[in-house]
Amino acid sequence: MPPEANDAAAPNPPQLWRGLEEYMDSPAFHEAMANEFPEDAAEWTDPVSRRNFLTVMGAGLALAGAAGCTPRPASMRKIVPYTRQPEQMVPGVPLFFASAAPLAGYATGVLVRSHEGRPVKVEGNPDHPSSLGGTSAIDQASVLDLYDPDRSKTPTRSGTPVSLDEAVHAVRAQLFDATGQPKQAVRLRVLSGAVTSPALADRVAAFLTQFPQAKWTQFEPCGQDNVREGTRRAFGRDAAVNYDFKQADVVLSLDADFLGDGPGHVRYSRDFAARRRVRDSIPAGADGEYVKPENMSRLYVAECMPSQTGSAADHRLPILSGQVEAFARAVAAKLGVAGAPAAGTLPDAAQKWIDPLVKDLQRVRGKSIVVAGDSQPPAVHALAHAINNHLGNLGTTVFVTAPVEARPDGKMLALADLVREMAANAVDVLLVLGGTNPAYTAPVDLDCAGAVKNVPFRFHLGSHQDETAGTCEWHINEAHYLETWGDGRGHDGTVAIQQPLIAPLYNGRSAAEVLAAVTLAGDTDGYDIVRAYWRKRFADEKRAGVFEQFWQETVRLGVVANSAAPRVEKPTLAGGWAEGASPAYPTLGADEYEINFRPDPTLFDGRFANNGWLQEVPKPVTRICWDNAAYVSAATAKKLDLDKDFRWTGGERGRTEVSVVTLTYQGRSIKLPVWLLPGHPDGAITVHLGHGRERAGAHVGNNPGQGPNAEGKQVRGSNAFALRTAATPAFGTGAKLAKTTDHYLLACVQANWVMTQVDPLNGTVIDRAPVRRGTNEQYKTNPWFAKITPTAAGETALISQNIPGQAGARNPESGTVRQRGTQYGPDHDHSNGNGNGHEGHGHHDDRLVPLTMYNPNDRLYPDGSRGPGRRWAMAIDLSACTGCSSCMVACQSENNSPVVGKHEVTRGRDMYWIRIDRYYEGTPNEPDATRTYFQPVPCQQCEKAPCEIVCPVAATAHSADGLNDMVYNRCVGTRYCSNNCPYKVRRFNFLSFQDWSTESLKLGRNPDVSVRSRGVMEKCTYCVQRIRYGEIVAEREHRPIRDGEVRTACQTACPSGAIVFGDLGDPASLVGKWKAEPSNYGLLAELNTMPRTTYLASLRNPNQELVDALKR
Amino acid sequence: MPQIFPKAVNPLTRFLVLLLPMGFGATGVGLAAFYRSSYATGKEEVVPQPVAFSHAHHVGQLGIHCLYCHTSVEDSHFANIPPTATCINCHQEMWHGADMLQPVRDSFQKDKPIVWNRVHNVPHYAYFNHSIHVAKGVGCQSCHGNIDNMNLTFQSSTLLMEWCINCHRNPQEQLRPQSEIFSMTWAPGRPVNGKAQVWVREDLPNWGKNPDGTDTAHASMIGQPRPTAQRELGLKLKELYDIRDGVTMTSCSMCHR
Repeated sequence: MPPEANDAAAPNPPQLWRGLEEYMDSPAFHEAMANEFPEDAAEWTDPVSRRNFLTVMGAGLALAGAAGCTPRPASMRKIVPYTRQPEQMVPGVPLFFASAAPLAGYATGVLVRSHEGRPVKVEGNPDHPSSLGGTSAIDQASVLDLYDPDRSKTPTRSGTPVSLDEAVHAVRAQLFDATGQPKQAVRLRVLSGAVTSPALADRVAAFLTQFPQAKWTQFEPCGQDNVREGTRRAFGRDAAVNYDFKQADVVLSLDADFLGDGPGHVRYSRDFAARRRVRDSIPAGADGEYVKPENMSRLYVAECMPSQTGSAADHRLPILSGQVEAFARAVAAKLGVAGAPAAGTLPDAAQKWIDPLVKDLQRVRGKSIVVAGDSQPPAVHALAHAINNHLGNLGTTVFVTAPVEARPDGKMLALADLVREMAANAVDVLLVLGGTNPAYTAPVDLDCAGAVKNVPFRFHLGSHQDETAGTCEWHINEAHYLETWGDGRGHDGTVAIQQPLIAPLYNGRSAAEVLAAVTLAGDTDGYDIVRAYWRKRFADEKRAGVFEQFWQETVRLGVVANSAAPRVEKPTLAGGWAEGASPAYPTLGADEYEINFRPDPTLFDGRFANNGWLQEVPKPVTRICWDNAAYVSAATAKKLDLDKDFRWTGGERGRTEVSVVTLTYQGRSIKLPVWLLPGHPDGAITVHLGHGRERAGAHVGNNPGQGPNAEGKQVRGSNAFALRTAATPAFGTGAKLAKTTDHYLLACVQANWVMTQVDPLNGTVIDRAPVRRGTNEQYKTNPWFAKITPTAAGETALISQNIPGQAGARNPESGTVRQRGTQYGPDHDHSNGNGNGHEGHGHHDDRLVPLTMYNPNDRLYPDGSRGPGRRWAMAIDLSACTGCSSCMVACQSENNSPVVGKHEVTRGRDMYWIRIDRYYEGTPNEPDATRTYFQPVPCQQCEKAPCEIVCPVAATAHSADGLNDMVYNRCVGTRYCSNNCPYKVRRFNFLSFQDWSTESLKLGRNPDVSVRSRGVMEKCTYCVQRIRYGEIVAEREHRPIRDGEVRTACQTACPSGAIVFGDLGDPASLVGKWKAEPSNYGLLAELNTMPRTTYLASLRNPNQELVDALKR
Repeated sequence: MPQIFPKAVNPLTRFLVLLLPMGFGATGVGLAAFYRSSYATGKEEVVPQPVAFSHAHHVGQLGIHCLYCHTSVEDSHFANIPPTATCINCHQEMWHGADMLQPVRDSFQKDKPIVWNRVHNVPHYAYFNHSIHVAKGVGCQSCHGNIDNMNLTFQSSTLLMEWCINCHRNPQEQLRPQSEIFSMTWAPGRPVNGKAQVWVREDLPNWGKNPDGTDTAHASMIGQPRPTAQRELGLKLKELYDIRDGVTMTSCSMCHR
């Protein structure tokens, strides 16, 4: 915080604030509001001298003259047809193929769109239970990994390219003697990531049979170790657990980010949202997608690092990770769970929670869920299962199944064993089979990279020449999942078939193929391996029908029918489930902190560090991109004297210079920037893993153009793995934080695109209430509360009427139908006054100048009608949005949006067509009083678009179906439109952000969308290419477009189904129904922009007893 | 200060008063004319091709249907340039030794595509879709001209935006019944096979059938004479094929996205 403001709030702090600056109403924030772009956004501030610039420009002009200025278009371009055209392929018509996107072993079913054989866009597979049509941001971005120019392209030996045969023969020579017999003496170890793939597991099992002395180790740095061990303790057997959030009335999350992380979180988001979408006029229906306000579920979260789940919570308890176990014990004790260990001491705030929480859990026995987080120790998981058992949730909302992983074992311990063997020279051959990068991710105290050097023969299969490849002599480039056959299991065990869409670009191989090749197995092709496995299993399981039919249908669907892990019918707690509870949590010393290691929300364990989309997409909740930071609370920052050193360079606006701190833990230390995060508990520090990779890739992860990290290295962020030990993989105490004199520029997009406005008369910030919010109780008494615009409450009725989709909607005040075009409706009551009939009800517009200076019916058509066109519109339910950023990456993928890099982001030049605004409510100094809201903001497609009237060249104009069209080839780059846009959704290509030269990236672009160059404004188009395609298909068949036939990229990607899109002209359209809801409101609609995109208010379901208890 | 120009220049100046605007005007007209000229637009310019394929021979003389090669014109934005295999279908039997076809045989044997020079160059930012035009009654001939008379193919229209817009504003001037889309000889009122034109089932949307198989109201038109004037016929077809109004069809995002 700047010195002039310190941590004091503004005289009248806003109810909703995007960042600390806004909360403090600092001068820098005012400056940010006044400027459309940061003051230097339009400057050429790259390290390019003016002379250099002129040279570049000159060359550019010369080239343009050679290529572009000839008036003769003919014969410039070529057409290259097939020699033999594949069947079923219609050139120009995209095809969808079902596949499976793997992450840390678990697969999510996806449908991938292919244009002439090039996979371009990933969407969720509605038939796969882990997806149900939604995807995570990581799934969306996986297609970019395929086209990553830094992928390993050839097998190597000590970094020198060799042929594939040479590499395979080298491994074979280690495994077989001269006569072709397996060598039994060679001490063989196989290391891989977690494996759920049945076909790969079968191949590994065959390998282990052939070489009985071999050992197979799986290692996942951010895996399910605690979950697995906790479940084993609770039920006395290897098991997996999945949840049905649709059936849960009350959910208690013990540091579990089930909406943002871990297997199945996409599915859980959908199920959870189904109980949060409150509707007044839409019946709950067979699909159970909507609820009445009284049936809304309630979510309690006790967590350390503010997560997506915590942001969606009705009650959030910021608590140290180490105190969660004590909290769980207290809950268990109060509930009377038999055999629960004694509760320890709890902080005051947590103590107040216990009684109301327990009462609420007891109220809905059998319909609640207690879920523990991946980073919590097994004891907490066991406690959660015991509580679920006590409450009768097992079998109704919580399901115990057979294990999903091929071999459920402790990954961290297994790696420790392997490293010990390697260090003791007890390993002759090490085969690293992709999906894991232990040289970077292994706990630092194991010294994995050092131990590997003792192994005489080291082989690595991987997609990149990463840190582990650097320690291995032999390397084979791994095929991407879109290049090779395979399979994988979802969170509930359902198998998805991983179908390739393209032949391997660099002739890569999958793990199963490499294992088959080096062991001289019969089938060495991925397709044969997977098919042969399933043919055998089809026979073993005695499935009905013919295999070929089963196989074709399975590949088409992408899902193996009835392959979910079998549920344990009546799970019972094991006797000693409460044993092995963690020791009492040590009290923190005066200058000691709890350190939390969390997988990065977008880079995961660092495997996506060279994916530009995932680097640039702002991390959910923190909104920081391209870096990690030490997240601390306001009080901690004050204690460390960090607050006064925050240097704001002209407003937050994406560039914030913050202090660099030295973070020391168990004698090791790293330097990284520090970030003050509202909602973070005092006394703890959170760092995200996955940053600071030294061998990520030259284009993104180690691109020198992006500047060094806080330690001066050419990497993105700082490597927190350098602090993480095997004993404390998730959190530990005794970390120390010391301020240095350095400063570091962080890219935080949160304050880019500020919509706030200053009242010109008195200089105060106008409360536009961008996020209208309330409780379900409020909703029951007044469902129209969201319609009331704080700045123009008296005109609510008129504003509401001017919002598209509100024709025929009910009157906010009386609940009866009113007609469009009449200001107050037919039921307008003048009778309860005494003079002119206007006294009794003060909602009239008494202004001299009418709200709109246009004729309300002034449309495109001369007769004043809207015309026969369709009226495309969108509605976004803020109660369902979890801020996961999947829509942002989906939009980027669909619309060829460029990655601009950290330095451009810090200048306010990010190019996201849909952004997610994060608002806080409460005060930053009280973490437990902070509430978070997310609001996705695409172009609102205003019917009265302010951008259109200021364009001097008519490059942005209205289409007859209500789209605010942007015509790139007309745009001359004045940026007036962006200046005049109240929503700040327009994006300008200040530089040539697109990569026009990298060949592999060209393959991944969507051919239906123009690739924009420098000097052109762009913005959300409602995915007009999809609309036009849908229109053409429907009109060719001479039929109307079906509701839901045209889906935007953001809508398709959204895991929680928060976005609907459709034709308002279709009376049956879902979007029309959502907009007719009383909680529907238009963002900044009082400006009379008539936005086609509207929002449904964010509703929470707080427990009044807990609210009261916290006040005491 | 001495005069720079002698007095004799004065008439010249007076001329300039007249000539300058005329010069500007002439330049403008000239540039506009140049912009629309066949030199600038490539209209009627014969483009050399790796194989001297003649539409006049294959379409005009042999009568091969457009769809035999341009298979996806009804389903895709792209009408498709046939794969070499399509050429070989016939040319493995006839003219299989001709020198002219050497590139075709090479392509097929070596599995290397023939690289054609594109004749119709629409800018990258314009997204033209063949299938919807064909479905709404715009014949091949309307844009591509009398392709059955072309030896080497050339562009018969300017492909300028004004040319597109003209038709999007007044589609009735170019529409023809569905059954005549691929015809190169059709004209309104011109007898077909010696008989006056009548509506046929193929002309009707979805063949005049409801999804349940019953006839639509339009089916009564079958056998009735078609209007003989383009304007009358065009307006009838515009209604019959649900062609949207000019405001909708000239929206920017119809073609640019």
